Amino acid sequence: MPSSNSAVSTHGLGISYGDAVALHPLTLDVQKGEVFGFLGHNGAGKTTTIRLLTTLLEPTTGSARVAGHDIISDPLKVRAAIGYLPENVRLYDRFTTRENLMFFARLSGLEKPADAVHETLDFLNITELADRRVGTFSKGMRQRVGLAQAILHRPDVLFLDEPTSGLDPMGVRQLREIIDRLNAAGMTIFMNTHLLSEVARSCTSIGVLAQGRLVFRDTMQVVAARYDEHSLEELYVGVAAGHSEVAA
Amino acid sequence: MTPSRLLARQSLAGLMRDRSVLILVAFFAAMVMVTAWLGWSATNTVNAIYADAAQYLAGAGQPVPSNPVGQSAPLAVLRNLGVYISLIGTFGAIVIGQLLIEADRRAGTLPLLGTRPFARRDYALGKMRALGVATGAMMAVAGLISVATLFTIPSLVVRSADLARLGLFLILGWAYITTFGLVALGAAARMPATASGLISASVVWLVVTFVLPELTANIHPTASINPVSTLAATPDSAFFRVTSTLLGPVSLSEAFAWLSGDLLSFLPDGLAPRGPVPPLVTLPLALLLAFLFALRSAAKLDLTAGGPDA
Amino acid sequence: MPNILPSIRGSVMTIALRDAREQLRDRFLFWATLALVVASTASLVTGAIALHSDAATYAAARDQLLALGKDAAAIAAPEFYPLKLMRGMIEQVEIMGAVIALVAGYRAAAAERGRQTLALILTRPLPHWAYRLAKIIGGMGLAAVSLGIVIIATAILLPVVSGIGLGTDDALRLALTWAAGVFYLTVLFTLGFGLSLWARSPASGLIAAFALWILVVLVAPQIGDTMDPDNQVAGGVFAQLSVPKAEQDRIKAGFAGYETFRNGIEVASVTKHFERFTFAILGIKDTYTGAPVDKVLAEKRGDLLFLFLFSLGLGGLVLLRPINPDRLTKES
Repeated sequence: MPSSNSAVSTHGLGISYGDAVALHPLTLDVQKGEVFGFLGHNGAGKTTTIRLLTTLLEPTTGSARVAGHDIISDPLKVRAAIGYLPENVRLYDRFTTRENLMFFARLSGLEKPADAVHETLDFLNITELADRRVGTFSKGMRQRVGLAQAILHRPDVLFLDEPTSGLDPMGVRQLREIIDRLNAAGMTIFMNTHLLSEVARSCTSIGVLAQGRLVFRDTMQVVAARYDEHSLEELYVGVAAGHSEVAA
Repeated sequence: MTPSRLLARQSLAGLMRDRSVLILVAFFAAMVMVTAWLGWSATNTVNAIYADAAQYLAGAGQPVPSNPVGQSAPLAVLRNLGVYISLIGTFGAIVIGQLLIEADRRAGTLPLLGTRPFARRDYALGKMRALGVATGAMMAVAGLISVATLFTIPSLVVRSADLARLGLFLILGWAYITTFGLVALGAAARMPATASGLISASVVWLVVTFVLPELTANIHPTASINPVSTLAATPDSAFFRVTSTLLGPVSLSEAFAWLSGDLLSFLPDGLAPRGPVPPLVTLPLALLLAFLFALRSAAKLDLTAGGPDA
Repeated sequence: MPNILPSIRGSVMTIALRDAREQLRDRFLFWATLALVVASTASLVTGAIALHSDAATYAAARDQLLALGKDAAAIAAPEFYPLKLMRGMIEQVEIMGAVIALVAGYRAAAAERGRQTLALILTRPLPHWAYRLAKIIGGMGLAAVSLGIVIIATAILLPVVSGIGLGTDDALRLALTWAAGVFYLTVLFTLGFGLSLWARSPASGLIAAFALWILVVLVAPQIGDTMDPDNQVAGGVFAQLSVPKAEQDRIKAGFAGYETFRNGIEVASVTKHFERFTFAILGIKDTYTGAPVDKVLAEKRGDLLFLFLFSLGLGGLVLLRPINPDRLTKES
């Protein structure tokens, strides 16, 4: 049930394209301050869910509130309260990191965009990239600049879509540390991921989506009490394939 | 700063760093310069031919007609300008229009823009504002070169009324090329495949430039890009009377050519525009329709798509 | 050790045929050919209607003269030579056909880069030039099919609108036009393909190819055409001044330098060579109307040779320039 403490709450949220159902009605509640790991096979509907919650798509059924605002009736307020890092972010190649970030900071309505850019670069420890063109960057560098644009305005809820995709082990580790710091600063994080080890280390709760339906939802405390780290994979395989007990 | 203004500024900065756009604008500027030289050189040649023919006719005791170009107005030396605006200027506008959308799509920034707190309409308006400024800059370049040319050719006496006509011509030129730029912008927003906006807007432009004049007045494709040949009268037949009445209002290139001839003072005496709608109504109307198409298309753009291989 | 030559030939044909098959299954070729057929037949029909209207005007004027007891020879009868009506079709191939060929070339490169199949093909045991050769052969095949359909469609319509049937001599002229057209369109296909293969992104290649199209197909002939004094005055300068033909030639001789320069700009464009050859072979240009095919071929072999050598040169350039390994995907 959604409460005043909900960062993300959906009620029967779904989307269909003609006869094809991309996401079956989804009811979900993520509390403020959580790091929520959203798991599922490729094509399960995870990215569609994020696109609905970030107002990029309009649902065909149900409703949702993000940071206390309705995604259908109040999309601008939702957008002001969220940050979003899509998978494979690229940004404007011919612009420097600073130019890219200044642009997005202004679009987010920040009064002192230069200060926000400076602080964010400092926070992410990428000040040395500030005046280099994004087109010359490696995947990991782009990902960090992408994360910078998502947190410039200190959003209440941060949506990350496969944030570790394509990163080397060092990149994954740095990202995990950043997520921990953002969460410690009070940001709610909603993360799509495939990496179970990341879920085990970063998330405070998880949900598993299979064929457009939520088939598992619990806190990591409960999961940890019932399964050890190795059997997390078995839990995932079991619930995603529909062979295990559904706790949602 | 409003979101649409911010988007326009960012888009223009991006265009200025795009080599293909810069090359196209330079190409356009070079061709505007060629225009002036062409007008001057061709007029000189006809004058020389006239002098030679007049001498022969007088010697043969035949009446000497007046010089067909001797009475032409100074602006007529710029008669090729309309052709280059409708060829290179339009192509430049189409490239810019599609690039404004495709740059965001390929950069994968559409989802980032879509999750910022501004309305979809602001995105569309920002892009259209950038297009209008870019095509305006192209016409300003054409205007500067044209004015410099008019004051450089010694035999021309340019009055302020001529400059006003040139100004109006450039505004109409802007409306003409921006119309196609908006079609490209809207088409790029509707069709996610790479270069689809460019190709589909080019098809519209090709049909307007090379097919419609054949149907309205039997103007062959090569004649339709010659500033003098394209201003031919509609053939005297029932078929062409019907086609020019029906298709004249949408035959934008002919409307623009007629207005070019009228404003730059090389329109043959008594040549009526094609169809019942005056060209001065046709062009702004086309711009308005293209604006609405682009606004609707860009406001409905799929912001989830994108990435390097989109 | 297998003989490598047959295997290269086999691979080239495999790639070319796969490409041609894909394009035939794709709607692009269908719509492009249909557009060209519609534009060409529209040209043919409007040309015929305009000619009928000229003929009616002539008949009325002649009847009036005869009624007044004057000699009807004082006014020139409009010429009626059915292949002349192909002018609009040739010009549509020159302009719209060229754009279609450019876009087909772009698609041939962009499809491989977009699907990332280029790397898969180039890691097969065949020289990289053979891949490019296969693409050009595939493009040439498409040009042959597409242009063949356009010419056959207009040839079927021609007797209907002109009322005169076509003979074997006309068929030969149309076949020569088709052959010249295939070379011309292959040049444009190769240009679109090469630039889209080499450019940082195929779309940039297409933009560059379009800009070149404007310069070569539209602007260069347009400059030459505009500089022609006869095109500066409606109806022609000599006609307006009522100067006899012999005197016209004498005056023109005085502008030999200007004319050479004007002609120089025109002949820099491959389009103008295609136009000059086809206008002569089809008798569209008055000086060649009704001239025997062998005489026209002898006089216009320069234009045909230019078309052939230009295709060969551009094809050679595309074959020789290696593919940049950083350009294997859509966006590098």
